[in-house]
Amino acid sequence: MAVTANLAPTGIRAGRRWPALTAFRKAVTRKPGRLIGLIIIVFFVLMGVCGPWFYGRLAVDPNALYAGPSAKHWLGTDFAGSDVLQEVVTGARYVLATAALSAFFTSLFGVTVGLVAGYQRGLTDSVLMRLTDFVLTIPGLPLLIILSTVWSFGSPWEMGLVLGITGWGGVARAVRSQALSLRERGFLEAARGLGLSRRHIIFKEMLPNIAPYATMQLMLSMIAFVGAEVGLFFLGLVPFSSTNWGVMLNQAVFSGGAMETPSALIYLLAPLICILLLTLGIVLFLDAVDELFNPRLRERV
Amino acid sequence: MIEARGITRTYQTYGAFTGARTVHALRGVDFTLPDGGAVSFIGESGCGKTTLGKILTGLESFDGGELVVDGVELSGLKPHQRAKYFRRIQMIHQDPYSALNPTRTIASILGDPLRMRAKETGADATTRRERAAELLTLVGLEPDAVLPKYPHQLSGGQRQRVVVARALTVDPTVLIADEAVSMIDVSMRLGILSLLRDLRARLGISLVFITHDVATARYVGDDGELHVIYRGEVVERGLTDEVILAPVHPYTQCLLSAVPIMRGLEEPGPDRTAPTAALDERAVTPGCLFQPRCPFAQDQCAEKHPVLVPLGDGAGDGSGAGDGAGFAGGEASEHLHACFYPEARRVVGVEVGAASA
Amino acid sequence: MSEVQVRGLTVEYQTSAGWLPAVADASLDLRAGEITGLVGESGSGKSTLALSLLNAVPAPGRIAAGTIEVAGVGDLTRLGGKQLRKARGGAIGYVFQASQNSLNPLKTIGKQLLDLGRSHEVSDLRGLIARALDLANRMGLDGKRVLDSYQHELSGGMRQRVGIVFALVLNAKVLILDEPTTALDMLSQASVLEIVRKVHDENQLSTLIITHDIGAISEIADRLAVMYGGRIVEDGPLLDVLRRPTHPYTKALIGATARITGDIDAARALPGRPPDLTTVARVGCVFRDRCPFAVAVCAEVEPPLEAWKVGAEEQIGRRRACHVDPSTVLSGTPGTPAAVGEPA
Repeated sequence: MAVTANLAPTGIRAGRRWPALTAFRKAVTRKPGRLIGLIIIVFFVLMGVCGPWFYGRLAVDPNALYAGPSAKHWLGTDFAGSDVLQEVVTGARYVLATAALSAFFTSLFGVTVGLVAGYQRGLTDSVLMRLTDFVLTIPGLPLLIILSTVWSFGSPWEMGLVLGITGWGGVARAVRSQALSLRERGFLEAARGLGLSRRHIIFKEMLPNIAPYATMQLMLSMIAFVGAEVGLFFLGLVPFSSTNWGVMLNQAVFSGGAMETPSALIYLLAPLICILLLTLGIVLFLDAVDELFNPRLRERV
Repeated sequence: MIEARGITRTYQTYGAFTGARTVHALRGVDFTLPDGGAVSFIGESGCGKTTLGKILTGLESFDGGELVVDGVELSGLKPHQRAKYFRRIQMIHQDPYSALNPTRTIASILGDPLRMRAKETGADATTRRERAAELLTLVGLEPDAVLPKYPHQLSGGQRQRVVVARALTVDPTVLIADEAVSMIDVSMRLGILSLLRDLRARLGISLVFITHDVATARYVGDDGELHVIYRGEVVERGLTDEVILAPVHPYTQCLLSAVPIMRGLEEPGPDRTAPTAALDERAVTPGCLFQPRCPFAQDQCAEKHPVLVPLGDGAGDGSGAGDGAGFAGGEASEHLHACFYPEARRVVGVEVGAASA
Repeated sequence: MSEVQVRGLTVEYQTSAGWLPAVADASLDLRAGEITGLVGESGSGKSTLALSLLNAVPAPGRIAAGTIEVAGVGDLTRLGGKQLRKARGGAIGYVFQASQNSLNPLKTIGKQLLDLGRSHEVSDLRGLIARALDLANRMGLDGKRVLDSYQHELSGGMRQRVGIVFALVLNAKVLILDEPTTALDMLSQASVLEIVRKVHDENQLSTLIITHDIGAISEIADRLAVMYGGRIVEDGPLLDVLRRPTHPYTKALIGATARITGDIDAARALPGRPPDLTTVARVGCVFRDRCPFAVAVCAEVEPPLEAWKVGAEEQIGRRRACHVDPSTVLSGTPGTPAAVGEPA
């Protein structure tokens, strides 16, 4: 439990203590780009959490196939007569939940393995790094295709777990190298000299120092995971068990003929623009991460 | 009480082209640190001083010799049994800028080791907080002002005081100060040095002071022993003031000559000297380690290795008879040296009357 | 004859409290053939003053007032672009703080030297190398070996010397060294100082050494300037200043230096902590909080840096910024006891 609690320091810190919340507000509002990034991220999170409540079950309007944007259908409808906006909104939950879960698993495994290996060195390090090498060599795509014969990937948990488990190798290696250089710093020598426990040193002394780095990894890997999962659905490599942006893209191109008929263009562009916006939001917000964790940067005006 | 006998440490390095190489970081270091006493080690960088400090705090292992802490010989113990003894020996780091975790407040930097200590002594949270404040006051800081701050909000001198306070959280009996003031402003150094001297007097803590600046060694351990260490070997030792005023080993003389003269207030010593070459840790020296750089070297120095002998006994041939001779009796006040041609020279500055007053 | 004349230099930094002076109204001469030591604690503005001699004050800072006349170049504060770049390195050689670490680890020293030559449009690169070899050899380095080495193959003292070679290879007549001996051990420090003196004498330079260690500088400097809170508070011929410090701060600084001779108990740490940009006094004397001699007027009027006149003559070349009578400072013993604390 200690591990998971420590892996989400922003949220926990911000909620528990007012100074941290003020620091968060200051860091975010310092540059307009960061604020825009945060707004975009919050917008998508809300869309993912609350969106499906607005629409309930997918309603199909058989009278309007490929209708253009109108008051009733803001972004028009698709080839089957479903409202495009509705599909974008309800599809967000799966995409975002999957990306968040896989990023969470990636950081959980990657950061823990990297920190422990970097701190312990010796035999533990060798074993963990061989394991990392093994994970790095797992071909993720073929694995997913094979797994899709067993699993339907209807729940974000399944997809998130598979993407996360195959994706933490790079993070572990990067965190380990950070940990190795951190280990030589005076304050870690002092902590060892004082006889503080290993768990304390790894999670209380080292983790906060690599937190900005780990958080950036986490957010960047979210972008990568959104791309990966949407790509899988677009290529049709996993069964369509839910509505999501990847399925929309696939159907727009392969069933809707978006490459030929301009009327299906909105249907193609809507999910694409969402992905683009989300990426933009994350990238803009990344700028604030360093300041959030580094008390020295935090107070500079 | 710490007793070290013949501590050695060698590293094997493997270069792609140069092949295996053995680096002798320490070549048999002996010293005795009585309770409440002080021992200083001086030498230039790369002579094994830092390795010694790390060995004494358990951060580094040694591969020969004995380390006896409070009557217990440590190399015979298992690692977790050793930890208890090493806990009593705490290190003050050289760089107060990297010795404190930049992401944590002073309160939590002191709080964690105190909590750990409290589990052993059974102290409660209030006592812990009081103890943190008490320690900060002891090192000359105002607890209320300092506790909520992050390390970067303090000056170098203040940080070094926090480092001292943190070392004291686990009630050590020995402090190892490795270049504890070399990265602090000159104007703040005396403050830290007198703090260390104060801790000796008030808490009975003994001190190992490791430095390249002989002048600072005077301020913490003028009643203690000074060991001059060169390439992992002690080449001269004796009472601090005695060694400073009448050094007999050429290396000591070079080190002391390098201390800047405060012109106007001091005049250079009449015998001021300097090494004839720069330090080359890889030099192969079957004879005296310092021979390639020694301004007074003679033929014999390149052939035979001098060992520590009491001054006045005449190192003469320095043949096998010198084995451990320097350690016999264990009298701490002896002036020992490892030179075939010991000759006292006046190399440190001489004060010019009381012109400044 | 002054190689560099600084007059009324004020350098400000932008902070949350507005523009604050890191250097206030500083006037200083660097004379040909003289080594000037500029001494101060961290935060005293000494490094900012030195950087402004290159007109290279970093980003949130600006030179707000004053002139820096460099012989053969003109007022440096008015230069920009190419002319300024030529003056840096060409007229003024600068050895940066921690220059041990300011070399590119991926290029040999020789390649970096050629880069320097090209960026200054030196046509005779062979001549440049020859001059660098000559300088290096005279500093006790094996020139050819050094030029073929990477940074990590050189010791701290050697890198410091390479820094000096780089500063002087373009025939600069002014040499500025920022903390040249920090992080070096005593033996390296002694040899670097000796080399600076030698190079200075051989090339008839005007040298400025910035340091917090009054002991190290006293070994080789001719003149001493003491800085505190952004102000030069005292300057003059080094021997005279050390023998007769007339500013309470200079006196305290000398007394706070760990020395190898003399009475251990006579040494006193400076009480309090040095001010920074935001805590320095805006009105009155900047040192008064830590000053054992402070009187009422010190809190109201800032003492100007004026010549110290002994009788009617002012030939001794000493300046001081203090309201208290020099003889009081010289004879009086500070009233405060040995304070070990640094109140936060």
